[in-house]
Amino acid sequence: MTAATAPGPAAPTAASLTPVLVRLKLSLLRNGLRQSGGRTAAWIASAVVVLLFTVLQTLGLIALRGHAHADALIVLMAAVLGLGWAVMPLFFNSGDETLDPTRLVMLPLRPQPLVRALLVSSLVGIGPLFTLCLFAGSVVAVAHGAFAFVVGVIGAVLALLVCVTLARAVAAANTRLLTSRKGRDLAVLSGLVVAVGAQLVNFGAQRLGTGGLAQLEPAADVLRWVPPGTAVGAMAAASDGEYGIALAQLALTAAALVVLLWVWSRHLTRLMTSPDGSTLTADDRPARERGSAGLSRWLPAGRTGTTMERTLRYVWRDPKTKSAWVTALAIGLILPVFNAWQGTGSVYFSCFAAGMLGIQMYNQFGQDTSAFWLVAMTISSPRDAYVELRGRALALLLVTLPYATLVTVVTTAMLGDWAALPPALGLSFALLGAMLATGAWTSARFPYSIPQEGFKNVAPGQVGLAWISIVGGMAGAALLCAPVIAATIWLNVSAGGEGWRWLLLPVGAAYGAALTLLGLRMAAPRTAERLPEILAAVSKG
Amino acid sequence: MGESAVRVRGLWKRFGRQVAVAGVDLELPAGKFIGLVGPNGAGKTTTLSMVTGLLRPDQGSVEVVGHDVWRDPVEVKARIGVLPEGLRLFERLSGRELLAYSGRLRGLPGAEVDKRATQLLDVLDLAGSQHKLVVDYSTGMRKKIGLAAALLHNPEVLFLDEPFEGVDPVSAQTIRGVLERYTASGATVVFSSHVMELVESLCDWVAVMAAGRIRATGPLAEVRGDAPSLQQAFLELVGAGGRDAGSDLDWLGGGVR
Repeated sequence: MTAATAPGPAAPTAASLTPVLVRLKLSLLRNGLRQSGGRTAAWIASAVVVLLFTVLQTLGLIALRGHAHADALIVLMAAVLGLGWAVMPLFFNSGDETLDPTRLVMLPLRPQPLVRALLVSSLVGIGPLFTLCLFAGSVVAVAHGAFAFVVGVIGAVLALLVCVTLARAVAAANTRLLTSRKGRDLAVLSGLVVAVGAQLVNFGAQRLGTGGLAQLEPAADVLRWVPPGTAVGAMAAASDGEYGIALAQLALTAAALVVLLWVWSRHLTRLMTSPDGSTLTADDRPARERGSAGLSRWLPAGRTGTTMERTLRYVWRDPKTKSAWVTALAIGLILPVFNAWQGTGSVYFSCFAAGMLGIQMYNQFGQDTSAFWLVAMTISSPRDAYVELRGRALALLLVTLPYATLVTVVTTAMLGDWAALPPALGLSFALLGAMLATGAWTSARFPYSIPQEGFKNVAPGQVGLAWISIVGGMAGAALLCAPVIAATIWLNVSAGGEGWRWLLLPVGAAYGAALTLLGLRMAAPRTAERLPEILAAVSKG
Repeated sequence: MGESAVRVRGLWKRFGRQVAVAGVDLELPAGKFIGLVGPNGAGKTTTLSMVTGLLRPDQGSVEVVGHDVWRDPVEVKARIGVLPEGLRLFERLSGRELLAYSGRLRGLPGAEVDKRATQLLDVLDLAGSQHKLVVDYSTGMRKKIGLAAALLHNPEVLFLDEPFEGVDPVSAQTIRGVLERYTASGATVVFSSHVMELVESLCDWVAVMAAGRIRATGPLAEVRGDAPSLQQAFLELVGAGGRDAGSDLDWLGGGVR
């Protein structure tokens, strides 16, 4: 036997492993781009935007040099950056396959060389470049004197390593979660975090604009002792001649790096030596039937109640539907209420709540995905289709009617313009009815697939369809509402109109209800006769 | 019985330039366990989709238990059960919720749906996972819950597309037992597969499909003819018999590594 005497291949050392993993990272990046022209264009566009942003941000930081509170701002920025690196792998895990160490589990690798090689390879990419530029800009902005520059350069490198290692450690600690179904659900919800985060940043920036940078100091005084803010703190302290504090903060940054590397390496070793999630038994806990058992008792019997119950369950349980709903609920509330709070709003802005929630009626069957076949098998007449669509509209109304009313009342209370409440409510209801009507009709006429994974809400090749469906539908809804809008304007401007403005509430509500019924009646026969075509259109995701 | 469960005439379907189904004529007797066999890409799924009303044919007519699928959907949809391949279920419902949902959508009374669902979940070994979301089910469990949903309204004809694909032997045996009990009562099962041993052991009637056409149809013994097994007869029918792929891989196994 020749095989028995031949020496086995030696386990790779760090020196040989690092270039391999760096090359792997580059290949993954390149192959990802090679998949399609659109993807390449999107990647290049986002890279250009990030690089531009990096350049501007770095220039901005350099321009801050000499500003009294520059170090406070930059400490906060470092903290936000660190937070971003910690959160990123939880939400954008699918983007980087090297983040998932279980893919290397079959290879004969020792933990120490692997950690070193993974650390070096994770320094390749736009994110680390962005981070490095920011920290380099911070050095220019904060450091004064030769010693401060030396501390700054060491601090910037340490801070970058802390950020990258933090991301890796979080990813390794949560690999089990991230590769499971719940992790993918979490990823879909990340759009929400981005949206809410953007609102908070916007809000913070507005307050800074009025109050100046000085109010950042208290927060910065804490964060300059929390890595990676410690790196910026060290630069600032060194510039002020407080060498002891500077060295302590630098040491703290280095200590954080060592601890993170240890945590990462420990999790990596455990991942590489224990069975992966797919061979373990899946979560055996029963699904929580939150409120649904109680809910079904209140819903009507037959197809109407069955459809309503399923629709409402999906709002809670399906990540795509849930994030669409939460976004609609949040924006529908934030826009009128924030504007009212700043004293610039109008009660009529609260129609936004009805409008945002009305959009959820669009592409009803696309929301079912190819599971629509189950519905299609039970629709054999326009009457069945009518009851199905009506059930979905009722489920939507169950949430939307009270919510739109609440938002309108809250907005009115904040503005104190109680005379505008009835017409604003009437307009809301008319708009909601028009959205439900056009939503039902476009659902039947222009259905499209919603991919279940990732952030896209339209399947490739159906973008045109989605545009016709949503933009065309919304334009149609606005047009349908025109009589009520005209009446509102007329009663607002004409002499003696105030006395009759309350009339718009019943008129708007009745008009909306009539539009909904008409829309459902028109959509039902189309749905019933186009079942195979709808199924084909919604099965592409 | 004598009456046919399914009668297909001149069925065509093209996807772009590719012809998926090229003029299928088929008559399947009622009360039989019928296997639709053929290699991948033969047009089995397309044919079954058109027969069950999930895909509109370019040409041709389909009758199920004497009613036209496209002109008389009310009569047909109440009488058939379907387990399609490659289409999702409402996966964010638990197994029990899915059965409750599809039964009630079909207009069955709620109490009756719940009673039948409990029995089906028991027989199909799903009682322990009935409150888990379908999205967390394994392939075998998905096939079983799909089968339960297809059986819930006690259809006259059951269409199953690859019901044993990716299913573990234990689940396969369970599915088999349920189907055998169901056909014994006079109902018809039409299922597609490319596993000949399975078809041979289950079916008493076979239709062989290849390249969008029916190559042979009839009782199992008749289609098998003089060949030692259905596998052999099938390979000859689709023109793939006697191909030997072994001679080029002489390095594979043993000897020098």
